[in-house]
Amino acid sequence: MAAEKKKAEQKANTQILRRTLFLLVVCGILAFIVMAAHLYKVQVRDHEYYEQKAIEQQLRQTTISASRGTIYDSNMKVLAMSASVETVYISPAELKMYKENPEFIAKNLSEILGVSYDDIMKKWQDTGSWYKTVAVKIEQDVADRVRKFKNDNKIKSVHLETDTKRYYPYSSLASQVLGFVGTENTGLEGIESRYNDYLKGTSGKIVRAATSNGTDMLFTKFENYVDAKNGNSVVLTIDSNIQYYLEKHIEQAIKDYAILNGGMGIVMNVKTGAVLGMATLENYNPNNYQEISPKAKEKLAGKTGDDYLKALSEAQISQWRNRPISDTYEPGSTFKIFTLAIALEEGLVNEKSTFYCGGTVSVPGRDTPVHCWKSAGHGNQTLAEAVQHSCNVAFVNIGLKIGAKKFYDYMDAFGFFDRSGIDLYGEGRSLWWDRGIFENPKNLSQLAAASFGQTFNITPLQLISAVSSVANGGKLMKPYVVSKILDPAGNVIKANEPKMERQVISQETSKRVCAILETVVNGGESTGANAYVAGYRIAGKTATSEKIGQGSNDYIVSFVGIAPADDPQIAVLVILDTPDPKTGIYISGGIMAAPAVGKIFADVLPYIGVEPVYSEKELATINATVPYVKNMSVDEASKHLKDRGFDVRVVGSGASVTDQIPAANITVIKGTQVIIYAGDAKPSSMVSVPNLYRKTYSQAKSALEAAGLYMRTSGVAASSSSTIVVSSQSVSSGSSVPLGTVVEVTLIQSDTSVMETRG
Amino acid sequence: MAQYGSANVKAAEPDRLSAFGSDVFERGRERRFFRAGAIDMPFLMLTMIILGIGLIMVLSASFARAYYETGNPTKYFVKQLFFSGAGVVAMLALSKIDLKFISRFSFPLLAISILLLVVVPFIGVSKGDATRWIDLKVTTFQPSELAKLAVILSFASLACKSKDKMKTFRYGILPFGIILAVIVGLLMLEPHISASIIIIALGAIMMFLGGADIKWFVMLGVFVGAAGALILAKFGYAIDRIKIWQDPFSDPLGKGFQIIQSLYAIGSGGLLGVGLGQSRQKYLYLPEEHNDYIFSIVCEELGYIGAILILTLFALLIIRGFWIAMHAKDRYSTMVAAGLTALLFLQVFFNVAVVTNLIPCTGISLPFFSYGGTALMLQLAEMGIVLGISREIPIKRAG
Repeated sequence: MAAEKKKAEQKANTQILRRTLFLLVVCGILAFIVMAAHLYKVQVRDHEYYEQKAIEQQLRQTTISASRGTIYDSNMKVLAMSASVETVYISPAELKMYKENPEFIAKNLSEILGVSYDDIMKKWQDTGSWYKTVAVKIEQDVADRVRKFKNDNKIKSVHLETDTKRYYPYSSLASQVLGFVGTENTGLEGIESRYNDYLKGTSGKIVRAATSNGTDMLFTKFENYVDAKNGNSVVLTIDSNIQYYLEKHIEQAIKDYAILNGGMGIVMNVKTGAVLGMATLENYNPNNYQEISPKAKEKLAGKTGDDYLKALSEAQISQWRNRPISDTYEPGSTFKIFTLAIALEEGLVNEKSTFYCGGTVSVPGRDTPVHCWKSAGHGNQTLAEAVQHSCNVAFVNIGLKIGAKKFYDYMDAFGFFDRSGIDLYGEGRSLWWDRGIFENPKNLSQLAAASFGQTFNITPLQLISAVSSVANGGKLMKPYVVSKILDPAGNVIKANEPKMERQVISQETSKRVCAILETVVNGGESTGANAYVAGYRIAGKTATSEKIGQGSNDYIVSFVGIAPADDPQIAVLVILDTPDPKTGIYISGGIMAAPAVGKIFADVLPYIGVEPVYSEKELATINATVPYVKNMSVDEASKHLKDRGFDVRVVGSGASVTDQIPAANITVIKGTQVIIYAGDAKPSSMVSVPNLYRKTYSQAKSALEAAGLYMRTSGVAASSSSTIVVSSQSVSSGSSVPLGTVVEVTLIQSDTSVMETRG
Repeated sequence: MAQYGSANVKAAEPDRLSAFGSDVFERGRERRFFRAGAIDMPFLMLTMIILGIGLIMVLSASFARAYYETGNPTKYFVKQLFFSGAGVVAMLALSKIDLKFISRFSFPLLAISILLLVVVPFIGVSKGDATRWIDLKVTTFQPSELAKLAVILSFASLACKSKDKMKTFRYGILPFGIILAVIVGLLMLEPHISASIIIIALGAIMMFLGGADIKWFVMLGVFVGAAGALILAKFGYAIDRIKIWQDPFSDPLGKGFQIIQSLYAIGSGGLLGVGLGQSRQKYLYLPEEHNDYIFSIVCEELGYIGAILILTLFALLIIRGFWIAMHAKDRYSTMVAAGLTALLFLQVFFNVAVVTNLIPCTGISLPFFSYGGTALMLQLAEMGIVLGISREIPIKRAG
């Protein structure tokens, strides 16, 4: 029994030893081999995979956006600039991680940012996302409010990010030239696009190891900093004042003559080819470049879905189009300038040549003769008269004298076959007959039509560049809009020098053409008379051309002017696309485009420092500024006013002047009667403005005076002619204005001689 | 006997053989309170080395979070240092106390543990969804830690008492099963799955050591294996824990976040590590980086080489613990020493297995490394008990 018990005990003892040994082997050796093997798999075999993943989350890359360069006009006025704005985004993943209250945050953000509460709540639902944009390009003060909310409530799932926003301080001014910037700091149109590489700069970045909260790691100062390089600035040749005058007067012409498809214009420095102004009307606001005009919106009304989007996109593309360089058109009679210049250069005609116009001329290869726009014909005319009359018959004859080959060679020399190479994208390509067809001796109808500017298409830019070459002594200059590029410190890193392409005609021919073109404007009864500006010598040419294949009533009217005619400095081209025939106004470049060019010259020439020189006749009718005579004695005031060419009427019996009409510093025509009040109160009654349309200068002046109003003129100033009439007035008839208000009237030449060919 | 090759040893040591056969409760009348034999130096040294490395790693791992969240970068380290000092004192003190004296507290300790587990759901503090801690003001305390020690001591007592009947179901399985069921049932109320698993495993090991019939373990093994396979096959992917285990990237910011961050840390370490103190994952990416997931930071900073070195130290400590158990003077001491060593092993194994995604995620701390005052003190105290047992090993064997 004892032995048995002992045996059993021994058995139990060896059993526990065996079992402990078993555990020793399993727990102390085998399990550790398993652990070591598995750890090897994770830590050594998959090392690179996990390390990469870990680094991805540990490194934070912050982009330092480069500030985009500024666009300046020629006077260093800012046309486009970038400013810091901020983007607010939320991180649904962090919201979940930190268990923050989505409703509370959404409510506050929607209050601060004006974003819909529901939108934010919807964004929270994507819990896997770390980046959901709530508001982009918000101003600094709004961003500060978001930041305060975030800090006050220790919110971790709302973030702010610095970004830049493009501002165009003059909003729509020169919008198609400037273009705009899309997302990612990329210029999409105009200068912004063409000079994007200079403007954009290089964004920098900070790569650093960060804690999960985004703060710096202690002792682990891993940071890689790449500086942002701010963009260079671009200085344009465009002068914002000239641009403003150009746009203002084209806009006015569009209103005055009910132009249906807008207008365009270019002001060019004829000596350098620098573009001083380039306008497309209607324009758009590059600060909000996707917004289309109310007129364009009307056309979209009723469209839905894809149709709507397509139409919207078309309207946007159309408003962004820089038409003076992109559109091509049939120039019409302005092109006679080149026919004239070639013929003079080649010695085929001279100032004494005479041309007979019987209303038609037959051309080899044409079944029917070419008609002059004046079917009765212009009779015998000198060269200058043929230009003034814009006589097609005379120019067909001149063209035939030049010959197709020579004419075609000159077209090439004037640059009509090539793109001008202006530093903007989107230049249109001209459309011409092939040389073989053009020079076919059996069929000169192409030459005949080309002689007065028809049957081909060129861009407005090509036309004004060629006109500039005619004006500047024969040198075709390459047009450009950027004068220089400045680095962020303001140093010039690139300058565009004027580049002469070639000498097309001689200096002498140039002078002769300008002299003849001057008679088109100041010839009293010639087609360009409406471009006349008192005190300035302006040369120019009108054009009215039918839009091919677009219905018989669609015309493009234009006028190109050069000033001063004796020493040309600038050229102005204004093109109006499709005047509405329903207004009843006679559709022609002389009636519609010439006054606009005249007004542009009237503003621009004094601005660029060209002093007016008035003739006797002009002096009688030019405007003068009313001096300040209040508090002077009546006698003194009367003398003061009379010395300046004003009539004086005294009301009241006081010794000194208590008031005056018109007020001081207002410009009215000379000879206007100024009323000075000596003691008596100035009446404050309102009067109705009379209708001055089609009234002559003196009729209009007396109608206004009878109503107690004053007149100031613009446009043609030759008062004597009965054919000069008012085409528009600054205050519309019937409106009620205070006594003594000045009404500006635009005078035009209404004689039929202003009306020229319609092809 | 002979086939196990231990007959010679036993023949040469009649004392030891009788020691195994004696009943601790019968021999306890000698009432020695202090023991004076030589302490097992390898076990002590290994413990101290691991504790030292663990302290350094707590400093390194907790530095960032302590700095960002409290402003005091050494906050956790200083606390851990204090508790490890107190723990070492407790360890040395306990190593002097006779196991027979300690054994008297086996069942009272079990009763206290169960009582505490009962009250934890009512007075305990919660972290997340679980209520496992009792607030002691200076620190917190997990009754489940105490329950583990109580299970070892009480199971050893029970097994020694009915050592002859351990093969029967009534004595060898039932009482142990009831105690385990009560404890695990209470743990599930918290809930505390990881402690449940450890206590079940620990209980099984104690029963195994106590001499329970192997067939029960085979049956249990077959049952658990079959049930596990069935659950995996049928619902595997529907159970989040399993799904995340198989593919942590299925929910990278939610349930998979922690294990992914752990794998990033471990994987970043590579063979040689990023260098002590150079962990990047500890910068608030890896949650629990100085508690349950401290081993991931160890791997990141010290590399595979460093991790293997530390695991080797643990392996040596565990082997030495079982060695002490095998050489203990009596059956009870063997069971307690082996049980405490097994507990140490289970903690190390489950911790490493969890942080390396070898098994599904659960929260188990790494002994001597993970931050936690009372747990560390208790661990050191448990080592003290093993050291106390080592003192009773006859000199010639211990040498």
